[in-house]
Amino acid sequence: MTRVVITGIGVVSPVGNGREEFWAHLAAGRSGIGPITLFDASEFPVRIGGEVRGLDFPALGRSFPAATACRDRKVLLGLAAAGEALLDARLSEARFERASLHVGVGLEMLHLEDLTPFAAVERISLAIAAQLPGALAGRLLQTPLDTTADLLGERYGFGGGRFTNCSACAAGAQSVGEAFHMVRAGRVELALAGATDSMLNPLGLGGFSLLRVLSARNDSPPQACRPFDASRQGTALGEGAAFLVLERLDHALARGARCYSELLGYGSSMDGFRVSDPEPGGRGAVRSMAAALADAGLSPGQIDCVNAHGTGTPKNDVVETLAIKDVLGDRAYEVPVHAVKSMTGHMIAASGAVEAAAAALTLHHRCVPPTINLDTPDPECDLDYVPGRAREFAGQTVLSNSFGFGGQNATLIFGRCS
Amino acid sequence: MPATPPTPRQAVVTGIGMVTPLGDSPAAVLAGIEAGRSAARAPSFDAAALLCPLAAPIDGFDPERHVDDVKSLRLMSRDAQLAVAAARMALADAGLEPRRPYAPEDIALYGATGLTGMPAEEVAALVRHSADPEGNLDLRRFGSVTLKRVRPVLSFRILANMPICFVSIAGSIRGANGIYTPWEGQGAHAIAAGIRAIEEGLAPCAVVGGCDVRTHEFAFVSLQQLGAFQSWADHGEGAVPGEGAAFLVLEEQSLAADREARVYATIPRHAIGTTSSKVPLADTLAGLVSAARPDGAARIVAAGDGDRPIRQAEADAIERAGLGAADTLYPKRHVGNLYAAAAAVQVALAAAMVERAGTGHAVLANCFGYGSQQGSFLLEAV
Repeated sequence: MTRVVITGIGVVSPVGNGREEFWAHLAAGRSGIGPITLFDASEFPVRIGGEVRGLDFPALGRSFPAATACRDRKVLLGLAAAGEALLDARLSEARFERASLHVGVGLEMLHLEDLTPFAAVERISLAIAAQLPGALAGRLLQTPLDTTADLLGERYGFGGGRFTNCSACAAGAQSVGEAFHMVRAGRVELALAGATDSMLNPLGLGGFSLLRVLSARNDSPPQACRPFDASRQGTALGEGAAFLVLERLDHALARGARCYSELLGYGSSMDGFRVSDPEPGGRGAVRSMAAALADAGLSPGQIDCVNAHGTGTPKNDVVETLAIKDVLGDRAYEVPVHAVKSMTGHMIAASGAVEAAAAALTLHHRCVPPTINLDTPDPECDLDYVPGRAREFAGQTVLSNSFGFGGQNATLIFGRCS
Repeated sequence: MPATPPTPRQAVVTGIGMVTPLGDSPAAVLAGIEAGRSAARAPSFDAAALLCPLAAPIDGFDPERHVDDVKSLRLMSRDAQLAVAAARMALADAGLEPRRPYAPEDIALYGATGLTGMPAEEVAALVRHSADPEGNLDLRRFGSVTLKRVRPVLSFRILANMPICFVSIAGSIRGANGIYTPWEGQGAHAIAAGIRAIEEGLAPCAVVGGCDVRTHEFAFVSLQQLGAFQSWADHGEGAVPGEGAAFLVLEEQSLAADREARVYATIPRHAIGTTSSKVPLADTLAGLVSAARPDGAARIVAAGDGDRPIRQAEADAIERAGLGAADTLYPKRHVGNLYAAAAAVQVALAAAMVERAGTGHAVLANCFGYGSQQGSFLLEAV
């Protein structure tokens, strides 16, 4: 079977921008959660989140001139991470014909400030329409979710298709997984895959607050997201993007590329239960992990580390723990299980891609990042979650979970490059 | 321009479900097309300020007929309601309701959804309650006052993945999956993903399709801003936004034969590709048509509608592929443009035409439309 390796990684995240800074801060257990500064959230019930800071947006505009007018933050984050991944793979000057692009995204952003001038009008859309084409000063009411893919495609080609996946929190892992299958099956020789998202806007933060899935520890942001801890209240909303370059091993070797890790398996499933809650027994998650193991041709005993979905919500962490134990059996108690979201917050669609990058780097650097804020373990969460401090890692494989709001599950399995 | 590589496993269409402005089955839609009927009419709102004067809505759709748990309707957008209806029709048509030979986890689900349809009245309420006396957005007011008035269920009705998640629940489908957005080309991606899942042995059965609702004023404003109505300005004709959903049941051919399923068509080849500002549209579309190798296709389900540049580029591509003499059907001129649902409608109609024509017949279904992604599928009789 064709082997597929990761030869480029790009990340922008609340814990750092660029692969090296991201990894250094992740391994150091540094939280990226802080007060919201992107807009005035002072009267919101939740006022904290994981913002991407220090990104050079003007430089990004020079690389992607068409993006300068774009106000959708996730588009810009995605372009930055994708550009870094291609540069890291020494492919930034390439134009790809037999390559595909896979972008996971969340929800179209609505700019409330655009609409406020029409607040007194009964039919707001028609009031805007009456002012077209100059309405909103030419700004788009909605930025279509395929914008990131199109901007990257215009610059780099990707004649093998530009896929825009909107499978909520599973979108990032699904994008990487589908790219893996495309390369492995010989449909393309190379793929750029990842995800980008930012829900750190008034509607996004407000909407998730209403769903009661966010931690409201507004006074102690770095401690807000506490996966597997008994005092966890919910997750912290984050933003970010990550992209991976996937290519056939022989293709990578032929051009002397660096291999971070090998992708071994991908599986996905649906809970088919309720859109609002995970299936209580975790059977959807079990099926996803089992499918990935089967795809990789591995047994549960061959999994050496789990990069958990680990949101810090009361329901997820118990259900995921149950599911990991169901799939790995006794092995579940022998392997490190860590939660990147304890530091980054939940980057929604981007999470699976950022965590895929973390999994690949775990193998590359032989180090498992910690789960921070795990001070009082929940009795129902009784695995080794790598609390507080990173750990050396000599294992050969990492399994990475992503479970989406609505009941979509995706699992990736990475292996050490040999 | 990648086409399908050879594979020992073959995907066949065994079930079709659709809810469209022209009817709820391929037979009804094809009859409507043959009778020259069109679902296009003036939209339900005053479109005087918009370039596009027409919409293609569905009349009389009753979601309660298709949803077991009526209380769940409050969580479902109209897109989701249409998707559930069409998917359940497809499963029933395939003989997979109420009992089926596949476990839920063995059925894959790949769907496409459109641009988020934020209800205009709810948007208006959000900004009305958040404006300061001067009419500017006051985020403090939004956080302290407006949020309390927003119904939490709104999230379920606007998240792009939700319609397909509701299909999973209603149809007891729990296998491999993916959701794509927001145009016809991504609908083609969903169909292609289902075909790949079967060809690569990931699933013996896949439900694939899409849903979209583009008939409301918010959608019209978005489409106009994006330039989707430019043909109306330039040529006095253009795309007519519609609403609907279509799903197909795909099965591995030998398994469908084992259970003596009705087989509409095989899908031996397909091609997906990308348009670019750097390449003439007709060149890209011609490459796609050629990659699907439709040598035996006597009929074409064409993607062209009133949008003149796309229609002309497709006509050019068909001519260059040597299919100029093929009998060509233009469903969108009658049904409207269903965007994320359009690809599934195109392929479903082609499958039904193949079955009707019988042995030896092949139909090419083009899924060309707004956005950069395009697809072409060849359907052949078994």
